[in-house]
Parts: sequence; structure tokens; C-alpha cells
Amino acid sequence: MTSIQDFSGYTPTWCPGCGDWGIGIAIKTAMVQSGLDPSSVMVIFGIGCSGNMNDFLNAYAIHALHGRALPNAIGAKLANHNMPVVAIVGDGDCYGEGGNHFVHACRGNHDITVIVHDNGVYGLTTGQVAPTAQKGFKSKSTPSGIIETPINPLTLALTQGATFVAQTFAGNVNNVIELIKEGMKHKGFSLVNVLQPCVTFNKINTYQYYMQHSYRLPEEHKKENLEEALVKGIEMTTIEKFPLGILYQVQRPTFTDQLSQLQQTTLLERERFQSFENLYADFA
Amino acid sequence: MKFTWKIGGEAGFGILTSGLVFSKIANRLGYFTFDYIEYPSLIRGGHNALEVVVSDEPIGALKKDIDFLVCLNEDTYKHHKHRLAPQAHVLFDPDEFSPQENNILKISVPFKKILSDLKGQPVMKNTIAMGASLAVLGSDLEILNKIMEDQFLRKGQEIVDFNKKFASLGFDQVKRNFSQHIKTYLQKKESEQKLVISGNDAFCLGAAIADCRLYCAYPMTPSSTVLTTMASWQVKTGMVVRHAEDEISVINTALGSSFAGVRSAVGTSGGGFALMVESVSFAGIAEIPIVIFLAQRAGPATGMPTWTEQGDLLFAVHAGHGEFPKMVFAPGDIEEMLELTAKAFNLADVYQTPVIIMSDMFLSESHKSISKKFIEELIETYKVNRGKTIFTTINKYLRYKLTDDGISPRLIPGAKGHFYQANSYEHIEDGHTTEDAQARKQQVEKRNKKWDTYLTNDFRPPKIFGNIETAEIIFVSWGSNKGPILEAQKILQQNGKETALMHFTHVFPMKREIIVSLFRDNTKRYVLIENNSHAQFGKLLLMETGIELKEKMLKYDGRPFLPEEIVYNLKS
Repeated sequence: MTSIQDFSGYTPTWCPGCGDWGIGIAIKTAMVQSGLDPSSVMVIFGIGCSGNMNDFLNAYAIHALHGRALPNAIGAKLANHNMPVVAIVGDGDCYGEGGNHFVHACRGNHDITVIVHDNGVYGLTTGQVAPTAQKGFKSKSTPSGIIETPINPLTLALTQGATFVAQTFAGNVNNVIELIKEGMKHKGFSLVNVLQPCVTFNKINTYQYYMQHSYRLPEEHKKENLEEALVKGIEMTTIEKFPLGILYQVQRPTFTDQLSQLQQTTLLERERFQSFENLYADFA
Repeated sequence: MKFTWKIGGEAGFGILTSGLVFSKIANRLGYFTFDYIEYPSLIRGGHNALEVVVSDEPIGALKKDIDFLVCLNEDTYKHHKHRLAPQAHVLFDPDEFSPQENNILKISVPFKKILSDLKGQPVMKNTIAMGASLAVLGSDLEILNKIMEDQFLRKGQEIVDFNKKFASLGFDQVKRNFSQHIKTYLQKKESEQKLVISGNDAFCLGAAIADCRLYCAYPMTPSSTVLTTMASWQVKTGMVVRHAEDEISVINTALGSSFAGVRSAVGTSGGGFALMVESVSFAGIAEIPIVIFLAQRAGPATGMPTWTEQGDLLFAVHAGHGEFPKMVFAPGDIEEMLELTAKAFNLADVYQTPVIIMSDMFLSESHKSISKKFIEELIETYKVNRGKTIFTTINKYLRYKLTDDGISPRLIPGAKGHFYQANSYEHIEDGHTTEDAQARKQQVEKRNKKWDTYLTNDFRPPKIFGNIETAEIIFVSWGSNKGPILEAQKILQQNGKETALMHFTHVFPMKREIIVSLFRDNTKRYVLIENNSHAQFGKLLLMETGIELKEKMLKYDGRPFLPEEIVYNLKS
């Protein structure tokens, strides 16, 4: 059994009180509790305060370009589908810059776990507005308040074909651990959207705000029911009610499950193809 | 013997497919071919044309005169009559139009009537035309019938026979009514076994030979057939082929799979490559191997999607913000495409950096005869060289370890007891992010050293065709101009002018000393030939070596060079 220490790299540089501290601990704990070690998992980081975890977490990792962690994760999974692949990204990273990739990763049911640090701002560039910020949010780039309405990551993922959609709150580390473990256990595309207070640049969506506006999904929530998940998910947009827990989970073949060439072995481990005559016969 | 057969008609009715069938027949009969397609960027309604040059000798260029023109509609005649050779054979349907010009051999074939009598589909006009063409050229229907059997047998013998009937009606029409115009050009003769492949096909085959395991792309003319060919092969080859949502996803998927340890490639044209460029830089600093196939078309922006140009050379050379090593190769023909593609995968692994293969519409979509033996020898001699790729290590592992050649061992993820990050930020030897001045300097110098290593070990000077010591004119060119220039040289030789060609394939970076020594004779007439308007290779040559070529022959109308055009331009 590994320990949290095995996964711990440099000491984090996040602001004191930042929600990322809780998420950082939770990711390491979830990996330990899932029986992983730093050599047995691939982690793809986006760019942002969340992505800066690259130096704090030990794993086979890519510190990707801003917005591009998901295609890197998909590629890594295609090459070696026996290794778990986790993407650690921010809301601007994943829903803004990389929004197109997010939509298509959901559709493909790629077997990756996407952990989004959702704080409504661009922390690393000192507090401009992010796609999940509520309408009217004032920031350096939107001094009169943001005109656009926020992205709803949950309903977006649900409608695009994600097979595991969960939300949790950085203030409740145990719940974050639990949902990351469940997300990683899930075979298929899993989204864990973590509501994460940015204590420096977001004075609206604070710990207190989320404690007031979020709630645990009840035991009787039918997580295999897409309509019900959509009803609960849309409440973030309509009445500022943030569900916590697994909103939706179904089993569907993953992308690599459906590639016949990957059924015997991984792309990495298979024998070299050498029957070239079969290819150039078409050209005669 | 050398002649051009050209067929044209409305887009969407199988012109391109029949052109390829014609090339295959000529090759199976023992001849060499080179073809070229012209088509608009739409699926129906425009004008499509395909020409095949057939020769006794290997051929890699078009020729100016058309000797056999098959007009499936009147447009074909209008568009191409200015290129007809004296006494050219023109096949046409008298129900559609009749050519008025004299000095041509008119062969009427009632395409429409045959179709309606037999209730054939419009696409079968091609089959009639093929039968008629083979008759005019003095061949028979044996190979055509065999090809149709292979193509249609799964649809049943009835369909095979139905198609054969159209071919024989076209054939008989000529035999019966125009026996005086029949040539004896396509008689079967002995020759080694050849294949008919396009530049895009050659990239696919080269990638398969090089053990490429993941190909990712978004369709973009003229690179799209690489995606579709790789996809159609994937069950055989075991390659994973992903058609991603956009070109940014394309290259990042490939970088993810390359990081995880498999040889990976992407393909696109200029616009798609523009989207990939940030990630080219990422591959540079994170030191992730990748092969990028860049098939140029006439730009800028959407430009002329189905036409040719060499307008992206400097873009490719400079692609990516910041400073990092990359290599750019420009094959000039099918054989070089195969060799350089296979080499590119080795070099991407050896240098752990992006390697770009430049093609263009002319090279990507033209089919050329290639000896089967050439491919077999390449397969036999090619060794997968993954450089310093390792799957395990007992030492403390440093992903970006400082080394004399600039190349650090690359551990494939999964090795027990280790971990590291491939970092898009500047980093120290173990991969952790840094902003330290000294560490930054060391890593910059480490990456730059790869170029020195490449120039010492793997750079190749231009190929020389002809004798640069004795030649009076020396052509300097790159990429797909090779074929037309070689043909132009033959014509010039006949005219008593001795020429040579410096054909650059390893276009970037260049080894200055070697190249300067090739240009030391300033009494020669050096002529730069490029399929663009900025003389991009000329600028690159100046930048890399200090050599400035004053005389330029540039073409930028979306069409490839014709050998005769090069000869003509030289006079003025």
C-alpha cells in the first residue's frame, strides 16, 4: 500500500484558504485508497492554479497547454488503456479554452476521469471572469459585470453523453475523495466538478456561499435516470441550487472497448505490424 | 513512347476512379504512368478532369500536349482543347457536341445512346470511355474486365457482366468505325511489377512501415485521403485512427499517445496546421516525438482547396512560439515520400521533437508508378530506431537530463518505481517547473544541441541530378517540383543545354558549410524554381546559408509546373 507521502511532490503554492488545498489532498488520498502508486497512473494537468498541482503530485504526468489536457488524456488512454488516466483542470481551462474538447470527450465516452476545479475565475492571471461565473459577476475583464450566462457543466456533460457526472465541494474533502474514487472506478468518461472557492479573486462564491447553496443528493436519487439528472443539474442555473454527489451514472462501452484492434492488448504492447503486402495489394 | 490520355466530365460521376483504373491498366501492361487530377471544391456539378502520362520510362511530371482527350461532356473539350497535340484523338458523344477544329482525329462514341439503350447509370459512361480508349490505344479488355470482376464480384456475376457490356460496346464502337485511327501504344510488354500510388498513399505506407500506431486527423483537402486510407487499414494494421473534433485536439491526442509510448502522427493542410502550431511548440519543450504531415494547398485562408502550391514552407519552418528544434522534410516524389516518412518517425523518436513532412496537392494526389521491389527493399532495410527511448531504468530517472548530444533518455510511462512529468513549462532536469535563470539556460542549450546532433548525424545535402561542375544552368528547388524539372532537363539536353538540379529534401535546418560549397562557382546560372510567389525556399536558403539566388522562376496560379513551361521560361 502506498501512502499520501508517495504522491506528494513539492509543497503547494496555492493561496492560504484556497479550495485547491482540499482538492489536492483529496486526489492523493483517492489514489492511495484506489490502490495506485505514482508509477501506475497517468495524470494530465491543464494550465491554471489547478494545473500547478503538476509539481505537487507525483505521477507519470503531462503539464499540458491551457485547454488541451483532455485530448492529451484521450491520446494517452488510446496508447495504454490499462493505465488509469486522470485530467486535472480548471473551469476556464476545460469549459472555456478547451470547451470543444470537453463536449467531444463526453460524446466519445473515453475512459478518463476529469476533475475540474470550478471557481468561476481565472486565478492564475489574477481574477478575470471564467465561463462558470454567474451573470453580472464583476471582474477585471468585466468591470460592468459579465454579460454571458454561466456554462452549466453538469447539464452540458449530461447532454453530450458523459456516463458519469458528479459534483462536489472543496470544503468537504471526504466527499471529494469519495467522488474521485467513484469517478476513477467508473469505466467511461467521468466528470467530477469540484466547486472550489477562490479566496483571493472570487468574493461571491465563497465557502459560505456554497454551504448555503449546495445540498447532498438524497439516497433515493436515481442516478441512472438522465431526465432526473437534468432536472437536478439545471437547478444550478435556474435557482442557484448546487447538487452534490453522483448526479448520473450509466454503463456504456468506452471508446477503447469499441476498437477491435485493442481487444487483445494495448496499443503500446502489441506486436509490430509487418504484413505490408496486405496493404499494397490495393495499389497493383 | 510517351503520351497523355485525359478524361473529363461533370464532377460526381466517377472520372477520378476511372482515371486510376486507366493508370493501373497501363502499369499492368508494363508502362510507367504519372497522373494529375483537376477538380473543384464541390461534390457535384463542377468540372473534373484527370490526365495520365504513359511512358516507356519512369515518369514524374505532366507534359504539355494532350494526345487522347476523352470528353464525357462539352466542357471537357472547351477547357482542354488548347492543349491538344496535332492529330490528337478526341473521343466525344455526337449527341452532346461535335468538335469543329480540324487537325484532330475525331472519334464519336454515342455514350448517351448506349446508356439509354442498356438502361445504364451515368457513371457507366466512364466504362464505355475506358473500353473505347483501350481500343484506340491498341489494347484489349482483358485487364479492365479483370479489374471490374475484382471490384464488382461481391455484388454478383450479373453486375460484373452488366459492367463488362458497357466496356465492350465502347471498345467495339472504335474497332468497327475508326480502325484507321487505332494506335499500337498499349501493347503488353515485359516489365517488373509496379504499383500505382499517390503521395498520400506513400505517406500511409511509410507510416505503417515505420510502426506508427496512432494517426489522428481532421479532414482537410488535400490531406484527407491519408485519414481515410489509414482508417480503412486500421483493422489490418492495428493502428488506432482518430478523427478528432478539430486540429487542436488532433495534435494533442497524438502528443498524449506519443507521451504514453506509441509512435504517433497527424496530417493536415495549412489551415489545420495553423491550429496545431501552439502544440508544435509544446512538443518542442516537452520533448515529445511527433510526425506531422503537411499537405499544402493554395492559400491563404481557405484559398483554393483543391489546387496546388508550396506556400507554407516558411510557416512550417517557423511554426511554434519560442525557440526549439524541429526538422522539416520535403519529399519530391513517391519514393522520397516513402523513405522520408519512414525516416521521420525514427528521427522524431531519436530527437524527441516534431518532424514535419511537407507535401502539396500535386504530390499528395498524383499517382505515380513505383517499383514493387523498391517498397520491398525499404521494408527489408528499414530498422525502427527509437533512439534513447527506454522502458525501464535502475537509476534515478531524470526526464530532461543534460547530455552532450542534447538528447535525454525518454522513459515510457508505466515503469515501476519511477514517475516524471512532460512539462510545457520550462523545467529542471527532473521535469519540475522552474523559472531559475541557470536552469533555463541549460535547458535551452540542451534543446538547441539536438540541432547540432542532427546536422552531424542525419542531415542530407541536396540530391544532385546532372553534373554541377559542367552544367551551364543549375536549377535549385525542393519538393514536388522535382518531377517537372527532371523532365525539363531532358528536353534541354536534347536542345544542347547542359543543366543540373539541386533538389533539397532536408529543407530545415541546413548545414551551412556543405551547402555553401555547392554554390561556390559564381559563373554558373542558378535558377530557383518554386511553386509560390514569395520564393520561400530562396529566403530560407539565404537565412540558413547566406546564399542569395537572384534568378527565380515562380508559379502561383494553383497549378504545378509543366516541364515545357520551365524550358520556355528559361529563355525569357
